[in-house]
Amino acid sequence: MRTPLAIVGVAVAMAFVPRLGLPAFYDSLLYLMLHWIVLATSWNILSGYTGYFSFGHGAFFGAGLYTTSTLLARFEWPFLWTLPVAAAVAAVLGTALGAVVFRVRSVRGELFALLTLAITFVVGTIVGNTPIDGGQGVSLTAVPVPQVGPTQSSTFYLLALAAATLTLLVAWAITVSRFGAGLFAIHDDEDAAEVIGVPTYRYKLTALAISCALAGAAGGIHALFLSYVTVGEVFTITVPLTVVLMSVLGGTRHWAGPAIGAVAITGLLYSFTAADNAIAGKAATGAILIAAILFMPDGILPRLQRAWRRVVPARARPAAVDASAPAAPAPRPAAPPAAAGDVVLRVTGLHKRFKGVRALAGVAVEVRRGEILGLIGPNGSGKSTFINVVSGHFAPTAGEIVFEGVALGSRAAHRIAAAGIARTYQIPRPFAHRSVLDNVALAAMFGGGIRSPREARDEAMRWLEFTGLADKADARPDDLNLHQRKFLELARALASRPRLVLLDEVLCGLTPAEIDGAVALIRRIRDQGATIVFVEHVMRAVLALSDRVVVFHHGELLAEGRAAEVMQRADVMTAYLGQAHA
Amino acid sequence: MSAFTLPSASLLAQSVLSGIFVGALYGLLGLGLSLSWGLLRLINLAHFAFAFLAAYLCFQLASLGVDPLLTLVGIVPAFFALGAGLHWLMARFAITPFNSLLLTFGLMGIVEAAIQSIWTADFRKLESVYASQKFKVGALFVPVPELITLVLAVAFAAGVWAVLRFSDLGKALRAAAEDGPIAAAFGVHRQRNALLLAGTCSALVSIAGVCLALTFTLAPSQMYAWIGVVFAAVMLGGLGSAIGPLVAGTLIGVSEAVTMAVTAPSWAPIVSFTLLIVVLVLRPGKAA
Amino acid sequence: MLEVDELQVWHGAAPALWGVSLSLGAGELLSVVGPNGAGKTTLINALCGIQPARAGRIVLDGRDITHLAPHLFCAAGIAVVPEGRRLFTEMTVLENLELGSIVPAAKAQRRESLAGVLELFPALREKLASPAGELSGGQQQMVAIARALMARPRLLLLDEPSLGLSPLIVRDMFDAVRSIHALGVSVLLVEQNVAMAMALADRAYVLEEGRIVAAGVPDELLARPEIQRAYLGA
Repeated sequence: MRTPLAIVGVAVAMAFVPRLGLPAFYDSLLYLMLHWIVLATSWNILSGYTGYFSFGHGAFFGAGLYTTSTLLARFEWPFLWTLPVAAAVAAVLGTALGAVVFRVRSVRGELFALLTLAITFVVGTIVGNTPIDGGQGVSLTAVPVPQVGPTQSSTFYLLALAAATLTLLVAWAITVSRFGAGLFAIHDDEDAAEVIGVPTYRYKLTALAISCALAGAAGGIHALFLSYVTVGEVFTITVPLTVVLMSVLGGTRHWAGPAIGAVAITGLLYSFTAADNAIAGKAATGAILIAAILFMPDGILPRLQRAWRRVVPARARPAAVDASAPAAPAPRPAAPPAAAGDVVLRVTGLHKRFKGVRALAGVAVEVRRGEILGLIGPNGSGKSTFINVVSGHFAPTAGEIVFEGVALGSRAAHRIAAAGIARTYQIPRPFAHRSVLDNVALAAMFGGGIRSPREARDEAMRWLEFTGLADKADARPDDLNLHQRKFLELARALASRPRLVLLDEVLCGLTPAEIDGAVALIRRIRDQGATIVFVEHVMRAVLALSDRVVVFHHGELLAEGRAAEVMQRADVMTAYLGQAHA
Repeated sequence: MSAFTLPSASLLAQSVLSGIFVGALYGLLGLGLSLSWGLLRLINLAHFAFAFLAAYLCFQLASLGVDPLLTLVGIVPAFFALGAGLHWLMARFAITPFNSLLLTFGLMGIVEAAIQSIWTADFRKLESVYASQKFKVGALFVPVPELITLVLAVAFAAGVWAVLRFSDLGKALRAAAEDGPIAAAFGVHRQRNALLLAGTCSALVSIAGVCLALTFTLAPSQMYAWIGVVFAAVMLGGLGSAIGPLVAGTLIGVSEAVTMAVTAPSWAPIVSFTLLIVVLVLRPGKAA
Repeated sequence: MLEVDELQVWHGAAPALWGVSLSLGAGELLSVVGPNGAGKTTLINALCGIQPARAGRIVLDGRDITHLAPHLFCAAGIAVVPEGRRLFTEMTVLENLELGSIVPAAKAQRRESLAGVLELFPALREKLASPAGELSGGQQQMVAIARALMARPRLLLLDEPSLGLSPLIVRDMFDAVRSIHALGVSVLLVEQNVAMAMALADRAYVLEEGRIVAAGVPDELLARPEIQRAYLGA
């Protein structure tokens, strides 16, 4: 609670500045700083948090600006009432755009940036050619400015202050919420986020809407500040690139980063303008951006934070109470409680094609509650594809997947996660910018349905203790070795308390001792009520763990039964060792 | 909303012709950008700054009496070196494709400021012996500067296409763009090729800059006006393609010109950008 | 002709090969088998310059090539058929083959090499103008081998050529590698398909978790418990 109080406190203090009777120049400078704080921070809510860098902020800012100017000039609305409408119009525009664009999976990164840039020019052209602006610009000089502050310029200052305070509070609130955790997960690895249960489409759309609404409000205020608006000044590349610069400079992963960048850049540009050297200001801005990209790609704030952490060491986490073999928390109960031995997953006629390659060619298998089923077979036989399709990473080409009586079909992966299925990746895909604890907490929050971030972290801690990673809770995934990263994958998969766990080569790369530990761990997971399907090459583990195995061969099932028997079968031995051993 | 007016046949034909000419310039501007993005995975916004810098340099030399086309002799090698140098810098710092966008935008700001401080923000027009020359083909007027642009654009697009398609260097560049490590395992010297390509892209855009100086009035802020439409041409034409930007640019230029002839000129930008949006949404695979 | 001495290769922050030593005589076909994750691909990558060695030496015909720049390995006489083929899918089959012979020494003999590989893989004759990505798995594998042969290597590295291929195609691959070996090319074959690897090899090594655990002649290795354990469990 300290941060929001601090923000509001500073805002209240700053509200008294107009009473100091400073020359209007300062009011304007402060207004601009606050104006850019709103624009940069609002941009960051979508682009910095999710990684979808938009170059279209000018379009939404402009939409809000022209909404207000139209309402003022044409319909003579009172100024303050136009602001919520401006915000709403911008939000609707953004949401409509996002609804289409976010559906297209490959429009990310540079493509998204360019598409949003194109939107700016399209909207600008439409505005400029229709009666909204008509090419001549809109004059608002006749519009009365409401008496919010002692002078006219202070009124704008106070409005901008209010907008900036609101924006910073929203940005902060998102950072500490479940919603924000989901956004950051999308940034690191959108597909993995979707698979652990983050509703990526909905979240991106929401972030975009919030971002646009705030930009629209800033636009509305700015319309009257300028008092004469033209398309040429608004719908250009300047706004989007300036907000990108400010946010990148300050640090995009932090709610306060863009604000720092905004203040720095505005101050810098103004000092150049004051010295009558706007041209040099432009050059300096460019030079700063280049230096920032080269030497501080993460921004100023993370650098400062790192320096701070060296001076003030992190508080030690309280040690785990029982270090040896803690009991695994039980999985979430199934909707209709089922007896052991019931079929929990039924797959029939599963096909998956990739561009002409038949990865799965009609796989049918039943998995019973509480069993450990091993999937074995040569490389490229379809085992991982099977896991990918059941967990929703890929949609099946044909066939049925029924989990606890409910057909999964081509459900979005996050809905499958919420239904009680979790998986690990063969090559671990942790969220690189989150701590180990947060990685697991994310799974608890989304797949596991725990809404409070604090509860989710407690839950995550339990799973870290279960997998022996408790002392690494605050570390980054990059600091872990392979064995630890595999166990992090495991903890993350378990944190949503799934009833079906899909493990993809969890043991690959581990030493024999580590393998024994992992096998024991997997058994304990089953003992608490989960059903496990695992892909493995390490035969020792397969024989020790599995109740049943199925053998994959060229996308089909070759054999099924108890491990020891199946491995003795002639056709299985041929598949693995060729004729020599039949 | 201005009314739709149906122009006469000859006016329409003249519009189409001027659309082809401006499209050729889009193609020439986009050639280096497309190669850089498609083969080097770097998005070089500084391209536009280089084009304008070359244009202003041409203007300056021409005002000293040098034939504009002769300025290419000095300009092209200078920009080759500049492009290679910039690439070396970005490779040294292992810049990601997205960050290359930001970094080169910063460079654009610096170059714009430099141009403005040397040549001021006033509009400048290159007065050359070519400017007043034009041919008459049937009912159509063919201005010489625009014709030069078209010829150069087609020649270089074809030349680059041929090199990419038939020469070992072209194959090496294409292979390295698809799978760098394997290309290197077969002997492709990636760093050297990349510098060569980056230098060539800048050299090409400097030629476009000279054409720009011949056909348009120059002002520093004009730099940004071309970004959108050239990116549209590049994406529609396909990244890494030599002919693509030219074809797409011509399409865009002609549709813009026809739009301008039929309605008000200010509607023209909507054509290219809407095309870009449509392509991105419906067939993003083609662009990336 | 190839001596690998205590080779150590790291994958990110962890070692993938720990002090691997092996030797290959001129004209020999050497097989390296082992389970998934054993480091077989890392070994191949180190031998063709894709991954740098952290410690140890690679000596080819008396020349220490351990720290050579990546693009110089091909000129030194090594060509690779990578795991998963890794063809240039946007380029035609012919262009892929031409790329294989881009080093000057190979380029001089491009025409003969092309005739040679088309004799080895006649099915590719009609596919020369097709984009490599449109071919079937088996055909792509042929192109990958042909591409490496175009470099006229002294040492050919094959990384799991049977991966994802049906048994019939694997048999064809098997025959092709045998023919290549018969021509006198030294071959290092890395395989999970133990039968194929042992049937072809003059000598073999077993790689497990980054270390060589067994070496010898195929017949004797097949009888050993290491291989049985690795593939069939205890």
